[in-house]
Amino acid sequence: MASNRMRRIGKEIADIHADAHSQIKAEPFGNQDDVTHLRGSFPGPPGTPYEGGTYNIDIKIPTDYPFRPPTMKFETKVWHPNVSSQTGAICLDTLSTAWSPVLTIKSALLSLQSLLSTPEPKDPQDAEVANMLLKSPKEFERVARDWAVVYAGAPASADNGSGSSIDDTRQGAGEDSLAKYDGYNKNLIDRFSSMGFDVDRVVAAFRHVGVERRGGQDYELEENSMGEIAARLLGE
Amino acid sequence: MKVTIKEWNAVATWHWDIPEDEVCGICRVQFDGTCPTCKFPGDDCALVQGRCNHAFHMHCLMTWIDLETSKGLCPMCRQKFEWKDKE
Repeated sequence: MASNRMRRIGKEIADIHADAHSQIKAEPFGNQDDVTHLRGSFPGPPGTPYEGGTYNIDIKIPTDYPFRPPTMKFETKVWHPNVSSQTGAICLDTLSTAWSPVLTIKSALLSLQSLLSTPEPKDPQDAEVANMLLKSPKEFERVARDWAVVYAGAPASADNGSGSSIDDTRQGAGEDSLAKYDGYNKNLIDRFSSMGFDVDRVVAAFRHVGVERRGGQDYELEENSMGEIAARLLGE
Repeated sequence: MKVTIKEWNAVATWHWDIPEDEVCGICRVQFDGTCPTCKFPGDDCALVQGRCNHAFHMHCLMTWIDLETSKGLCPMCRQKFEWKDKE
């Protein structure tokens, strides 16, 4: 049974390698000889807030694979009603009750990619995200996009530009609130505060990580700093 | 010239009556090969075909059907898996 599993996983990985078109990847997670713990990845689907991001998936293959489904969870943080924003746990029937042994690691990764473009808030894994999607879809889209930029490496795109123009009008309304930003560029801070963190906490995190103020200019933060800030905000 | 045949050896090949390059959807091994638990292809490691026309190594399919989670469904089309009667 065990060698059966190994043989099939080996074939599946080779098959994924051979297909460059889908941009789906799967490699051993750590130890190259251990094919029971893989890291898969796929690009965020176009036309969604996740576009341009790369999503890593932690894949564990059970001993009775392919008769039982692989255990998958998002390693990359994602703002999506069917994925826990805290743990990355996924709610998808094909990975549980609707699994079939003819499905593969690649087909499961493709299902996850398509799950990102078809959020199902009525069967949520993360109630907070699902509520946001139902009550204020615009805000959901903005947070999903911000998370894609911060965690999945999606480029800060034109969407963000329009977001900041809204912020600019708010800025005119209360000039004194700018003091809270402690000399940091407002857009820089707002990219984090828009995820639901208080401006004060974001500024404190910036100070803690030692982000440069650069005279209040807006600039692209290094990936390292972004990770550290996010970790600080999430209390990790 | 007269040739007298003193001895002869017959050699034959066989394959299942389905397209040669098809693999079992469960183990991904060619149908003419064995399921992962068998050593010799042929009668010892037979194929099954359902009414839905989907075929598998019998051992692969039985492992699946025996699981409660299979609900007795064909892995390919999720219809109830029923043995196809020989014509």
